[in-house]
Amino acid sequence: MNKPIEFDPAELDLGTPATLATETVTVLIDGTEVVVPAGTSVMRAASLAGTQIPKLCATDRLDAFGSCRMCLVEIEGRRGTPASCTTPCEEGMSVRTQTPRLDKLRKGVMELYISDHPLDCLTCAANGDCELQDTAGAVGLRSVRYPEARANHLSAGTDSSNPYFSFDASKCIVCSRCVRACSEVQGTFALTIAGRGFESKVSPSEEDSFLDSECVSCGACVQACPTATLQEKRVIDLGVPTRKVKTTCAYCGVGCSFVAELRGDELVRMVPDKQGGANAGHSCVKGRFAWGYASHPDRVTRPMIRDSINDDWREVDWQEAIAFTADRFKAIQTEYGVDALGGITSSRCTNEEVYVVQKMVRAALGTNNVDTCARVCHSPTGYGLKQTFGTSAGTQDFASVEQSDVIMVIGANPTDAHPVFGSRMKKRLRQGAKLVVIDPRSIDLVRSPHVAASHHLQLQPGTNVAVLNALAHVVATEGYIDEDFVRERCDLASFNAWRRFIELPENSPEHLAEISGVSADLIRSAAATYAGGGNGAIYYGLGVTEHSQGSTMVMAMANLAMATGNIGRQGVGVNPLRGQNNVQGACDMGSFPHEFSGYRHVSDDSVREQFTALWGVGLREDPGMRIPNMLDAAVSGQFRGIYIQGEDIAQSDPNSHHVEEALKAMDCVVVQDLFLNETSRYAHVFLPGTSFLEKDGTFTNAERRINRVRPVVPPASGMAEWQVTCALSAAMGYPMDYGHASEIMDEIAALTPTFTGVSFDLLEARGSVQWPCNDAAPDGTPIMHEQRFVRGEGQFVTTPYVPTDERSTRKFPLLLTTGRILSQYNVGAQTRRTENTIWHAEDILDIHEADAELRGVGDGDWIEVSSRAGSTRMRARISGDIPAGVVYTTFHHPISGTNVITTDNSDWATNCPEYKVTAVEIRPASAAEAVPA
Amino acid sequence: MTLDYTQQHLVKMANQIAGNVPSPEDVAGQIADHVTRFWTPAMRSDLGRIGREEPGVLASEVHAALAVLEADGTGR
Ligand code: SF4
Ligand code: SF4
Ligand code: SF4
Ligand code: FES
Repeated sequence: MNKPIEFDPAELDLGTPATLATETVTVLIDGTEVVVPAGTSVMRAASLAGTQIPKLCATDRLDAFGSCRMCLVEIEGRRGTPASCTTPCEEGMSVRTQTPRLDKLRKGVMELYISDHPLDCLTCAANGDCELQDTAGAVGLRSVRYPEARANHLSAGTDSSNPYFSFDASKCIVCSRCVRACSEVQGTFALTIAGRGFESKVSPSEEDSFLDSECVSCGACVQACPTATLQEKRVIDLGVPTRKVKTTCAYCGVGCSFVAELRGDELVRMVPDKQGGANAGHSCVKGRFAWGYASHPDRVTRPMIRDSINDDWREVDWQEAIAFTADRFKAIQTEYGVDALGGITSSRCTNEEVYVVQKMVRAALGTNNVDTCARVCHSPTGYGLKQTFGTSAGTQDFASVEQSDVIMVIGANPTDAHPVFGSRMKKRLRQGAKLVVIDPRSIDLVRSPHVAASHHLQLQPGTNVAVLNALAHVVATEGYIDEDFVRERCDLASFNAWRRFIELPENSPEHLAEISGVSADLIRSAAATYAGGGNGAIYYGLGVTEHSQGSTMVMAMANLAMATGNIGRQGVGVNPLRGQNNVQGACDMGSFPHEFSGYRHVSDDSVREQFTALWGVGLREDPGMRIPNMLDAAVSGQFRGIYIQGEDIAQSDPNSHHVEEALKAMDCVVVQDLFLNETSRYAHVFLPGTSFLEKDGTFTNAERRINRVRPVVPPASGMAEWQVTCALSAAMGYPMDYGHASEIMDEIAALTPTFTGVSFDLLEARGSVQWPCNDAAPDGTPIMHEQRFVRGEGQFVTTPYVPTDERSTRKFPLLLTTGRILSQYNVGAQTRRTENTIWHAEDILDIHEADAELRGVGDGDWIEVSSRAGSTRMRARISGDIPAGVVYTTFHHPISGTNVITTDNSDWATNCPEYKVTAVEIRPASAAEAVPA
Repeated sequence: MTLDYTQQHLVKMANQIAGNVPSPEDVAGQIADHVTRFWTPAMRSDLGRIGREEPGVLASEVHAALAVLEADGTGR
């Protein structure tokens, strides 16, 4: 099942990208007939026919450029020798790719390149993995006629400033592939070809070093470079890899596919997979380079236990750790009842690992007290999309954005948090799609090279629903409703109630302008753009969900999309950008206390009967506790033991003091993780987890795509995480017998209607599939709700704006909002243990100039941030990205303890914490020190 | 009865649900439905006790919802 992937013909570089044309043309390549889509280049047609035309500047990841003159061909009836990469096939064309004239020309070109290239192939890091070397061989170059004394670039220096790759200018052939990759694929435009003719050279912006330039270290240029000029440092240090395993990135919800390339058992590099359904060969700095944490010396690889949290940890074997945990759990059950125990599943773990944890909680512990870390990020998505559309998932595949005409980004920062999708979105924006950004911050997308938002609705934190209602008011009152769509596809009674509500003057842009801080004109114009501009797509992030009205806001966006008919086809939709790699999967797998897998309520008798029949155990019909309820119950002494899979709740959950108090009050806290963390300070059992490189299973990304995660190296702890969970379950009296992770997926498929067609065999054959995948949709479902909504008719929900309790006051006059940056990830447990810290060594508070001046705070000063929940310190940065009255920070470093200051306010429907609004005050830290506690 | 942290949180959650349920019609029914679908029986019965012993802390709609729950036997 986990064979290393050897040669894959699909990996062949066909030279130029595929065209989307449906008509075909027939051409003759060296006498062989080939049928290709119209617009296909001669080079690609030849590759498809099995003939590789020598090339240097062309690659199928980039548009053809035609600069190297290596790919010349002869075409019957045409003069000269055109470049095959830039010549489109025409019906009946007859092409010769090998003639004495072509051989001579190609040799001549190659000779020029080689005469200005160090001839150190045998000791070069790319020896055996270099297109220049291959092409020199292919054209049969045997000698170089030009004298070495001729002007050359052989002494040009090396830029090693980037922690992961270096740039050896002496090896550059100025093919411009890197420059084009940076602009076309990544959309950063950090590289240029500076100078002309012989002087021309690749240069990061303003002739900076790579590190000091605009470069975001995505690796696209390294991937594109045909020589050793741009090369991973690990390849230079370790040598060219010898075997490959395909797997999936474990950072964000884009779910990029990678080829892990190893030398023996040592991972040399991660290369984005061109066949990857989510990423099509692109990557960001995290997935491409920041995986070194997996072998960091801080990894705990042996189980540990202790009687009390004041004791030192004691390393034990697996048996003892499991027995210790089971004894404690049983004692708790005896004394306090089964509901005194519970578990938390992790969005960083595989579907299979998550599934067995929730099964253990429900079947072995006998309670529905299971929740997931998605509680603190996307639980409102689950609630809101289920109410309106009937299922808790985004509506589109990522490729859909390529057909959007207007893109609305709400409370998300794709270029930092979902970078590969961000690049795809930017590509569409460069092609002319319009962009509406709704965010208190001026995120990068608002203005970046060749991309500018037509509208930036810079609202006050906490007023999302007001702004969405105002947009919908304009849609309803200015004739933008898609009446046909609503009549055919939606529940009319709910629509009519919504329409009456949304047309009320209290929802007008004029009425809501003052509350939201967004002018009525801007809202009216943005509404007209979204509703009247063709395919309108909504993409949103935690800036939508992590509010007291997070669920209301999700429903408000769904209303808007339905009212304008922007659902059920390519280019439109309502799409959550998921924070962690497997948020979608963790939710799908039945991690919420009220739902089994596939979002079916525990009170549904027929569903419970299916599970009971297969699991052989009676199941509870009432919902269990959510994370905040478990923590509350722990503080009041009723909840005594918890199994926490891969989540650092003491750092990531709001109001850290309360979380710590709750953890301290428990008799048995079990942490399953890679590293000791804040939560493990209060744990009695530490069960070493597996990194994504050791996992065998599946992740489901934000577009519902189920991707395989394959073990690249064996588990450092000797056990897969699901095996550990099963062992504990057995010790609790409920054995779960799986021989392999694929058998867990088989059980998921047997019990979950949207997964019935999913199996490891199917994923092996197809690469990935998007659920629902069942008899009705055996190939999966890229776009949802095409003919009808999952719930039948689309349900409109009225969404009155209710201001949060968290308001600025005289004591706490500023509103703090939080976010993340590109190079770091969540609480930073992984990225802080990589060289990514070079970009973000600490969390910093962004503050508007006027607010800083008022408080005597200068750029770079230490400040104290306090809220009614607590206070913490960090450094300040004067920023023009946020309006006066708002401050912003990231939460990647435990030392800054951002969640010490966040409060226990939460979404009304799901208890998702209100991370995005906390009333705070700032003062210079020196002054604060002088104030007695 | 002095409300502890957990009880205060329950009160806050219940009042927040009352202020946010989608439709202006049958608010009590919607609250009752919400806490039945998403709360544990123990949380519902704690809320009922708070309603009886500290009635002033709960919004009137929450009291109406408690009456609904009581009537269909899911309140405790
Ligand atoms: S690593 Fe990415 S951003 Fe940096 S120069 Fe290369 S392509 Fe551009
Ligand atoms: S660095 Fe590599 S990709 Fe860029 S121009 Fe030079 S050889 Fe080509
Ligand atoms: S975009 Fe997300 S999934 Fe893709 S490489 Fe970056 S972190 Fe990994
Ligand atoms: S590969 Fe065609 S011109 Fe370079």
